[in-house]
Parts: sequence; C-alpha cells; structure tokens
Amino acid sequence: MPRLPHPAPSREIAIELEGQTIPCREGDSVASALIAAGEHVFARSVKYHRPRGPWCMTGECSHCLMRVDGLPNVFTCRTRVRPGMRIERQNAFPSAEHDVFRAIDFLFPKGLDHHEMFAGVPVAEQVMAKVARHLAGLGLLPEKEAPPRLPHETLEVPVAIAGAGPAGLAAARELSNLGVRFLVLERETEPGGRLRYGAVGPKDPPLSAFAQVSSFGALRLCTTIIGLYDDERGRYLAAVEETADGPRLLKVYAQRFLIATGGHPTMWPFVNNDIPGVYSARAIATLIRRDGVLPARSFALVGTGPELYDLSRLIVAHGAAVEVIVDVAADPPEDAPHRSLRGEALKAHGRTGVRGFSFRPLNGRNERVDCDAVGVCVPASPAFELASQGGAEVELSEAHQTFRVRADEDGFTAGPGISVAGDVLGQMTAAQAADSGARAARAIARVLGAVGGAR
Amino acid sequence: MSKALVCPCEDVTVEDVEHAFARGFTDMESIKRYTGFGTGICQGKSCMGAVARLIHQSKARPPAGIAPFTPRTPLFPTELSVLATAPFDVQKAPVGSTPREVHLGALALRSELPLPARAKVVIIGGGIMGLALAWNLVLRGETDVVVLEKGYLLAGASGRNGGGVRMQWGTPSMIALAKRSIELMKSFARDMGINIWLRQGGYLFLATSKEVAHRLEANQKLHNAHGVPTEILTADGAREIVPELTCKNVVAAAWNPEDGVIFPWPFLWGYAQAATRRGVRVETFTDVTGFEISGGQIRKVKTDRGDIACETVVLAAGAWSPEVAAKAGIRLPNEPHRHEICSTEPLKPFLGPLVSVLDSGLYFSQSMRGEIVGGMGDPKEPAGLNLGSTLRFLSRYARALTEQLPILGRVKVLRQWAGCYDVTPDNSPILGRTPGLPNLLQMSGFVGHGFMMAPAVAERMAAWMTEADNTDELFTRFNLQRFAEGRLERENMIIG
Repeated sequence: MPRLPHPAPSREIAIELEGQTIPCREGDSVASALIAAGEHVFARSVKYHRPRGPWCMTGECSHCLMRVDGLPNVFTCRTRVRPGMRIERQNAFPSAEHDVFRAIDFLFPKGLDHHEMFAGVPVAEQVMAKVARHLAGLGLLPEKEAPPRLPHETLEVPVAIAGAGPAGLAAARELSNLGVRFLVLERETEPGGRLRYGAVGPKDPPLSAFAQVSSFGALRLCTTIIGLYDDERGRYLAAVEETADGPRLLKVYAQRFLIATGGHPTMWPFVNNDIPGVYSARAIATLIRRDGVLPARSFALVGTGPELYDLSRLIVAHGAAVEVIVDVAADPPEDAPHRSLRGEALKAHGRTGVRGFSFRPLNGRNERVDCDAVGVCVPASPAFELASQGGAEVELSEAHQTFRVRADEDGFTAGPGISVAGDVLGQMTAAQAADSGARAARAIARVLGAVGGAR
Repeated sequence: MSKALVCPCEDVTVEDVEHAFARGFTDMESIKRYTGFGTGICQGKSCMGAVARLIHQSKARPPAGIAPFTPRTPLFPTELSVLATAPFDVQKAPVGSTPREVHLGALALRSELPLPARAKVVIIGGGIMGLALAWNLVLRGETDVVVLEKGYLLAGASGRNGGGVRMQWGTPSMIALAKRSIELMKSFARDMGINIWLRQGGYLFLATSKEVAHRLEANQKLHNAHGVPTEILTADGAREIVPELTCKNVVAAAWNPEDGVIFPWPFLWGYAQAATRRGVRVETFTDVTGFEISGGQIRKVKTDRGDIACETVVLAAGAWSPEVAAKAGIRLPNEPHRHEICSTEPLKPFLGPLVSVLDSGLYFSQSMRGEIVGGMGDPKEPAGLNLGSTLRFLSRYARALTEQLPILGRVKVLRQWAGCYDVTPDNSPILGRTPGLPNLLQMSGFVGHGFMMAPAVAERMAAWMTEADNTDELFTRFNLQRFAEGRLERENMIIG
C-alpha cells in the first residue's frame, strides 16, 4: 500500500515476518509497516479462525496481536519497529493465509455454542474437551524470562490529568494560566489526540492553540494508565511508562483527577465487520497522519456524524478514492461529497480481506461497490473505565446508545476527587471537548483554592 | 461465513448475544459471562457499546436498566514482571475498593413481577450451594422452592473462584464430600445439558517449610486410606510434572492426579435452568431485608420485592450469611475475608495441574481457555465484605508466581477481581439446624472451597431435609451448636 511522504526523513530498516524481509522506516509501528508492505492478514481469530488485520490502531481491540521477538500477543499497532525484529502470526495452521481451522467458521455458520455442544454425549464430550483445550489459547509462552525491570516511581501532584487530547490539553492550558500544578499522562508519543491523529474538521481548533504547557505542568508521554486505585496513602493512578530502558511502573497520587480519556472505537455489527480491511475511522486517520501509510486505494465509509465526512476529505486529500459514504443514522449533510446516502443492510465482502462493500439505500435496492477497505465512523464508546473505578456513575446515552460518565456542568462526578471532560461525557466535537476541559480545570482550581495548598 | 461480530476478541456474534437474551440473560454482567464477550484482550473496550445497543434495540431492558459490567484493572494488558515492581508494605493491612461493584443489586435491574406469596422452602443465596440444593430438592419431589439472590447469578464467590476441585483434604468428611462432588461433576453435562469442562490435570501442593511438609505427609496417609492416590514428591519429582517450575525453597510436594479444574459458571446456569424448568423460582436482584419470627420459627422472609411465607429457610449466602443471619437475631461466627485473584492473556496449553504453595497461599492453574488464573491470600487482610482490587495484590502475586514460574514474567495480566471467603473459626462449614430457630437451616462457612463441595453437600442436605429418618452425621458434626460446645472440626488444607 502507498507510503505517504514522511514529515521527517527517517532511516530505512528491515524487520522479518516469518522469514520474509519487510522494509520499513524507523519510527513505523509494526502494524503500519506490514500494511505498507501489503500484508493484511495478521492473525486468525480465537474461535472461528477468521482472518484478522488491524482495526483500531490504538490498542483497544485484539485484531493486530502478533508474536514479536518471541513474545506472544503483542499489540503491533503500538509497537515501534526495531532492526531485525522477528514477527510471527498466531493461531493459524499451517499459515494465516491458508488456515485449515477456518473450517470451524464454515461448519458452524450459526455459531458454536460451547455451553451446550455435545453436552453429555459420551465419548464426543471427552474428545471435544481435549480438542477444545488444544485449540484454545492465543500464542505460545514467551521465549525468555523478563529482564530486570526499572524500579517504580511514585509522584504526587495536585491535579493529575488522564489524556492529552483536546479536553486534557485545554485543561492543562487553563491550569497553567491559573498557576495550578498538574501532570498530564498520555499513552501516545505526542500529545494532541484526535487533533494530531484524527480527521480534523474546519471547525476544530488548531493543535498549536495548546502548544504552551507552562512550568506549572508536566507531560508524560508513552504512558498508559492501567487503573485508579486506593491504598493507605490515598488515591492514585497506576500507569506504565515506556522508556528507552524498558517499561516503568508509575504511581501518581493527586488531590484531583481529571479523566479526559476520550472514547474507544465502537464495534458496529454488520456481516464480516471483522475481516482485514475493515478499519475504525480513527485507525485510518492514524495510519495516514501518524504512520504515513494509506491503508488502501479505494474506500467505502460507513457511520454517521461530521467526522465521517471529515475522514472522507482526509482520504481524498491523500490521493485515495472514496467509493461511497453510507450514513446509518441521518441524511447526509448538504455539503457532503458525492455518493453520500443514507443506508442499511451493510456487508463487507472478501475472503481474507475487503474486496467490496454492499448496502441498501433507504427505499432502494441492495448495491455493491468494489473497494479494498471499509472505514467505520460511529460515535465512540466513552472510555468511562477510570472514572467508574473512581466511583463516578455511568449511564446509557440514548442518543448515542453508548455508556457515558454522569457529571455536572463543571465535570464533577459522584467519585471522590474525580472530574471528567471531553468524550468521556459522550462524543462531542474537538472544540466542545476543549471547552469542557477548560471548564473542568477552572472548577478544579476553585476547589483546590478553597482547600488551599495546591499552588 | 457471514457472521456479524460484536466481540472480535472472543468471536462473539450478534446471534450469540440474542441467544443469551433468549436464555433470560439481559443484564450486562450476565451477558458477559454467558457469551464470553468482553473477557478477551480488550476487556470490553470496543464491544460493550455494541452490546448496549443490542439490549436497547431488543427492548430486553429499559434504558435505566442497561449498565456496563464492572471495568477491571489493569485497563491495559500489563506484564507480571512490571506489576511486581509495585511497592507494598507487608506489615500493613491492605485497603482498597477499586473497582467499585456498583451494580451488584442495582435497583433498575430488579424484576417488576411479584414474588410468590408463599413457598415451602426459601433458599437465601443463589450461589452454587443454594442452586444445587434447589435442584436436589426437585430430584426428591420438592418443587415448591424459591431461591433469592441479591445480585446477578454468579455475583458472589461462585462466580469469582479459580475453579479448582480436589480430594486432598485434611479430614475424612471433606475427602468424602470432594470425591462425591468430582463424581457428580463427571456426569454433570449428561445430567444438566451444559458443559462444565472438568479437566483432571491434578493438584500439585508445594511445601516450603518442614512444618507444611509434615502436614502434607500426614494427609497423604489419610488420603490413601480413603482411596485418594496422593503421592509425596521431592522438588525434582514436582519438576517432572511441571518442568518450568523452579521449586525454589520447596522441601516436599503432594500430588494427586485425579484433582482438577472446572469452569465454575455453567454449574449455576445448569442448576438454575434445570430447577426452573421443574417449577423452582430463582429470583435475582432480590434482597432479603428481614424475617417475621413467632413461636420460635421463621414465618416469613421479607424482601425488597415483598414477603414470602414459608416452612423452611435455608441460609446459603456464603460470605453474606452473617449479615443475613443477624436480621433473624442469629450471630454466626463466620467472617468474610476478601481474596483477590487475576487472569492473564490466554496461552496455548502448557500447565497441566493446579499448583499451590501451601505456605504462602499462592495458587495458579491454566483454564480451559488458556489463561493463567491464580491468586494468593494476604495474611493482613482484615475481616469485612470487600470486593475491591488492589495493586498490592498484583505485585505480591506476580513476585510469588514468577519466583516459581519465571517464564511467566513477560506474560500479561488482563484483569483482576476479588471474592470473599466465608471463614469460620475452625475452617469447617456450618451445616444443619440453628439453635433456637429450628426452621432456619445453615449451609455456609465453606472458607473458599464451597464450590467444589456443593454438588455433594447439596445431595446430602436435600436427603436430610426430605427423609424423616435421615440422621446424616454431617448435619450434627458441622452444626452451629458446635462452637458453643467447643467441639471444633479443624481443617488444615485451606489455601490462603
């Protein structure tokens, strides 16, 4: 697949996929390097051995897991290439391209009920148990024991911000202006979230608006939060920071936590929604903007909301074709690109990768377009987990049919010390997310001012 | 083939979720457990929204009744070797209540249907004990039974244990119960129409002190006398069974190849579905609020959905039993103790037995799905109902586990949770009549091993309840009276 001109020149290196040399650029993710090399089948799924390729590019699904340098189940979307890296596909025999166990998928078109299948049938039951044990599991044991790990690090700040997307960055800017000390934790290598890696719209604020993080604050990149815990000293975020010397565990105690973790790409059920070439919208944008790889030459896009049409513009601007945009919830806006329509009965076609996409326009007949990727752009599922662990309430948003955190106008939740901002409250535009982050930050500063000692 | 996936990590389709609805599972925790969605690498990040939409669109529940399942830590798969670097103070008691278990008895999940006004038997607690008893009563012709469960099925310890089943116990009574249970488990799928995936990979107990080694040796003789083929092994002998083990500091091991692991959840579904088909009412999300007592008998069980008049009440609420008994003015000596547990990424099978270091309370096994499931007791854990998770546990467990199995250092933990042991002063259960309140029957106090005992205990309890001349010694030996009489029945093979 086409490489896009890279913003910064980088060194050419090579990795090895099951004995085959894959050329790549330093800084590539393993997943993007494989896609650029035309490899789309990364693995076979756990039960039906369906082919899988990257879907979210953010470590929030399991599609891109591979064995990397003798380690099982590595997120290739979040792992940078290193010269000589060894990549292997998992859960396939004899190969991921031609996996005999795919027969399970065809033999059980209605699915396989592991609770009741062969239950109580003599012999069959025992055979099934043995077979199931050997088919189960994903990946083999690691080749080696772990090297010595870096010691943990404990930090204490008045305000800990989870996420450096528009909401988190706007909050950081506000706290800087108010002179409140803070720490932002961000899993990516650069701050900005969707403003940096997403399909940006004309109304989105520029990333440069947030560039100033004053001496009051600090930003920890490559840091993935793994939970909000309490211990005898108080509340803290546990996180793992990827450093040049390996991972380091962080404990971040704070008086207030601002959870601005955005949303996860939502699975949208349609036939073959899991085959290689079906991507979440933000995965496509991330591949283009972060990794400099166009994952296909022709796309069908499906979903709803302004980001769907922004994504179409981003794809076209980078030289690929968008064959059709199917809006599943609303009529396309007036300024939508041509071939935008409202439709349903979605289906991706292709054996080991997308070859076409079919749909039925409202009041129309089934149609099929040829394409080699499908982009899914539906409202993200708010990443409520951290806030919920802190005691915030979560409710179903009937408008988006996803869960969201319940909070007041200032972002305060039922969880002690827990505020939220941005998409955690239900998907919003980047500008709205930034506003909610700034407002939550002002409210936090007020509270800390009232209790004193925060500045 | 043409499948529409909801959870690609575990290959769960739209049809699978609709099948769960048809089986009566419409709350997120139950759908998760029945279909397996959200239990894979992503832990529900990409799929829970899709399931919420399906519940909403099918109108299986009103919007207020659609709640997410509890999001577990770690939120991203994290290597054991990294978790092991978290500091902890062994001198201090663990605290921690993350994640909160907010939906255990959520109001919005409660049924609108009325409860029956009367029933012959009311069983409090819809865990394995209560449900197995309900089914065994049905087998004896008694179908006028109501089971009351505070949360969803599997909300308590029955849904939170590691699935170990073993015959290696310290008293003849427990050995006999365990042997019978394993027999019943072997025919469970045939009897109940649901797979429980019993795998007899053995239990390998390791002793790192002479004192524990002596205990294993003494118990071996008892086991052999009761037909359990336990062997005592050296550290090298243990490594022949699990070559990856270091057996650091191990002085002896005990091995019974007939012990094993099962998948706990289908037991509850199997018992509940079979009993329900024969007329038993299993009422989830229903909380017992009190009792109406007169003339030395319980007359009614009061709940937040109305009262049920009854002849007999069985208290099978596990760690919640003391709390419920107190509502009838009965003080039980049981205390709940949190026990934490975690599960890793699934790996191809390599570990046959369940391994336990009896000295430290570490235990681990490989589930049918390939995950390493294990836990470790904390000697500083205070008494109290607490289902929270701690980083301290992950760190202690990771250190202890990788000390014995260092190849797991780079294996990633997917989720952690906790359950409560129901601990009695002598580590033996409480079974039988309640002094002063004879129609309240006790069926609790199993100290973390009730799951593997339940099929056999329930069988004997149902016989004892329905046969006029039944004088099964189990219900006198282990009755509540024994504590007042100082007649303790000490069990010395408790893990953790």
